[in-house]
Amino acid sequence: MQRLFAIAWLTWKAAFRFRLFLVVAVLLLGAVVGLPLLIKDDGTARGFTQILLTYTLGSITALLGLSTLWLSCGTLARDVEDCQIQMVAVKPIARWQIWLGKWLGIMSLNAALLALSGGSVYALIQWRADRLPQKEQEILRNEVMVARGSARPESYEKEINAETDQQLKESLEKNPGLKADLKEVRQQIRENIKADYQLVPPGWPREWKINVGLTRQSLQGKPLYLRIKFNAVDKSASGTYRGIWRVGVPRQTPLWVSEEMSLAPDTFHEFKIEPCLDDKGVLTVGFGNLNNTTLLFPLEDGVEVLYPGGSFGLNFIRGLGIIFCWMALLAALGLAAASFLSFPVAAFLSLGVLTLALSSSTIANAVSEGTLMGYNEETNKLGHSTMDLIAIPVFRVVLRVINLAKNFSPIDSLSTGRSISWTDLGLAFAQIVLLLGGLLAAFGIIAFTRRELATAQGNQ
Amino acid sequence: MSAGLRKVLLVLLATALLVGVSFCQRSLNRDRDRLDLTRVEHLENAPPALAFTTLALGGFRGLISNALWMRATDLQDDDKFFEMVQLADWITKLEPHFVHVWLVQAWNMAYNISVKFKDFPDRWRWVKAGLELLRDDGLRFNPNETLIYRELAWFFQHKIGENLDDANMYYKAQWAKEMTTVFGPGTPNLDELIHPQTADQTNRANLLVQKYKMDPQFMKEVDEKYGPLEWRLPEAHAIYWGALGLKRAAENPTKVTPDDLITLRRIIYQSMQLDFHRGRLFKDPYADRFEFGPNLDIIPKVSESYLQSAKDDPKNADHILKAHRNFLRTAIYFLYEHNRLAESAYWYKYLCEQYPDRPLLDGRGNSIPRNLTLAEYVLSQIGVDVNETSHDKVTSAIEGMLRNAYYSLVMNHVDQYEGYKALARRTWEVYQSKMPKESLARVGLSPLEDIDREVLHRFLDPQEGVPWEQRAMLRTKLGLGPEPAVPATTNTPTARAESK
Repeated sequence: MQRLFAIAWLTWKAAFRFRLFLVVAVLLLGAVVGLPLLIKDDGTARGFTQILLTYTLGSITALLGLSTLWLSCGTLARDVEDCQIQMVAVKPIARWQIWLGKWLGIMSLNAALLALSGGSVYALIQWRADRLPQKEQEILRNEVMVARGSARPESYEKEINAETDQQLKESLEKNPGLKADLKEVRQQIRENIKADYQLVPPGWPREWKINVGLTRQSLQGKPLYLRIKFNAVDKSASGTYRGIWRVGVPRQTPLWVSEEMSLAPDTFHEFKIEPCLDDKGVLTVGFGNLNNTTLLFPLEDGVEVLYPGGSFGLNFIRGLGIIFCWMALLAALGLAAASFLSFPVAAFLSLGVLTLALSSSTIANAVSEGTLMGYNEETNKLGHSTMDLIAIPVFRVVLRVINLAKNFSPIDSLSTGRSISWTDLGLAFAQIVLLLGGLLAAFGIIAFTRRELATAQGNQ
Repeated sequence: MSAGLRKVLLVLLATALLVGVSFCQRSLNRDRDRLDLTRVEHLENAPPALAFTTLALGGFRGLISNALWMRATDLQDDDKFFEMVQLADWITKLEPHFVHVWLVQAWNMAYNISVKFKDFPDRWRWVKAGLELLRDDGLRFNPNETLIYRELAWFFQHKIGENLDDANMYYKAQWAKEMTTVFGPGTPNLDELIHPQTADQTNRANLLVQKYKMDPQFMKEVDEKYGPLEWRLPEAHAIYWGALGLKRAAENPTKVTPDDLITLRRIIYQSMQLDFHRGRLFKDPYADRFEFGPNLDIIPKVSESYLQSAKDDPKNADHILKAHRNFLRTAIYFLYEHNRLAESAYWYKYLCEQYPDRPLLDGRGNSIPRNLTLAEYVLSQIGVDVNETSHDKVTSAIEGMLRNAYYSLVMNHVDQYEGYKALARRTWEVYQSKMPKESLARVGLSPLEDIDREVLHRFLDPQEGVPWEQRAMLRTKLGLGPEPAVPATTNTPTARAESK
């Protein structure tokens, strides 16, 4: 370990010698202090805090990510090119220790910078929150500066699938010679059955049962939030639909009934409700459709209950933890590239990989359409190319790898007051640092170990 | 020549050229504009950051703008709106002369995003954000673009003025509240804002000019040309921005199409019609809310604006004249209802002369002007059939009119009170006159005074009548003296019963 720390210490010294630490720290603090002065918010304290969290943490991630990539490429490649590595390599230290020591040095630098900038963001938000009127503070602490868990109604997947199979079987028995695409027929039957679980006809009510499980004891007296979304069959002149919500069961639990609400379709609405849970921790939510058109609440995200599940401070730390995992991956990427390439090429390669990861939505689009050629709106058909045979399977693998790191959204969760659990953080560490970072580290260490350092001095 | 001297001379030459070009720049910009040499105009009134960005990024501005637009669309799809004001600001600032960018961003905030919120204050914030984007920034960088004036006027007329949004009354109340801080309660005195004398007047004039970007001098011109307008209502602002658009169009005739002018004029006459219908604002002190009444003083100008629009837009002249006739029919009734009988008769005569062969009543082809008197027309308009022989229906209609009369008096609308009273009497007289004398004893109406007394009694009834403040007000105005004390009962405190 002493050798690892010695290399890490050398990396720190280099970072200070080149004033990198100072410059990045100033940039990060500048972003934290300067952004609130520049950004335009939607006029609410909640909106301001959300945009502040998003933009400051986004800027910190971008600045730190780029500096990590640059430093990790530079610290190894420049040492090799300037022959300084030869002074280290002749010492009683293994190559893997040099590589890991550099990674450790970069990560400890990142930890310090992230703690400094993250702490500043946290302090800034708390400071601003404390200066707000009591009512605004309450909204902030209930909706943004909180770690909210979520619960959804029980899934009806089993029932829907069983009923679909039953109806399909009956159809096939009635029409033995049916030559339709069975997959398509099944899908249509399934959608019809699913609709019964989602639709609320005009003037009719619907109920959902949501079990909050073991957390019910801790929710006594605490505000819950109902997050709902629906689609409408017809358009309304006002663009909104009227409805009334009820929470609880008459004569069994306390009751909460909303005023008549004017709600837009195809959008999420969030509002405060009372915790009218029954003894088993089940919340009964009812909706009355006051319109002359049918409304549809999707099974996947139509109704969801958000409840306070922890403190904002710990959630913030877990969020920073995921950002730190990303930095670990970028450091490993930069060092792996610098293990066998010169500094400019390593930097170019690393930035290329980063760009590829950031543009994964294009790859995901190609994978979901099954072609590189896209969708032709004039012919209403998907294009096709022989390249698809190779590109799409490759894209699928690439996408899966990228998603291992990208499927976490700590900034989004923090700005919407959603909980980042320890499990999420553990998963991020396992997938991003251990798996992806580990693979890159293994590759980098092998490449660096096999590299002939004395031939890398180029034309100097 | 030494190297040092040469450098100094070169620096001096560069400075001289820079000074020289600054003199040419203005005329070059004018020539570019006049000869239509470039699609990208020089920026006016741009803050340094924007001027730098637009020059430094050059053609890449479009790419960045596209990327931001895509982010805005993605966020909106995910119902995340807190960044939208910032993104709209960046997008429009990157393409400050692309008018449709301003229009789409503002529309998106005022129409699409606002209704995504269930709480009315949230909706109002987004409607205002859309308005402010056009008014504060869009017009700042594009002061001669009639499309922006049209859109701004449309937001006032349609989004705030119409009743399509469930929150429209909230919008109107909020706007009225904001305007009250500028104009004070009651009719605004524009002269005191044009030439402020006191600190308060100066503050309010600054607020009007700096925050609401309105020119009190031009407001006065608009008020004289199209008004009198109630400036606390959105219609007046729709007319203002439409009129300002027309003014700018007149100053830049080469940049305007005939359709642009027609649209602006249409917004003005439609807003004037709205202003006629409910262009009078008063506060109901009992319910603590704003109420609307018709603006009858604007009738001649609304009529004139219809005729002018029909003249300007021959393609749609038939539709406009039809709307004009409908407007006149309503105006006559409103004037009669407010006891402005001479004006009502004037406009009735005018209607009969302008449209002598068109029926006055819907669904009754024989109701052409020569077959109907003014009183018969008005009674028919309020739903009392002049040939109605049902004793109960006519009694009920008269009671309704009397009740409206007393309510108008409570609200201090004396003209309206007298108008309803006169209407009730006229209805009573028409019915009685149509009854054969031998039937009067059987199906004749009770004396009007008796019906009136009964209605007033019910209106003032402590148990079933209007709240005590309104009863007290009416008693005072009618000189009826204080309300007799309610006999004490065993267990119902008087105060509690009163406060119901």
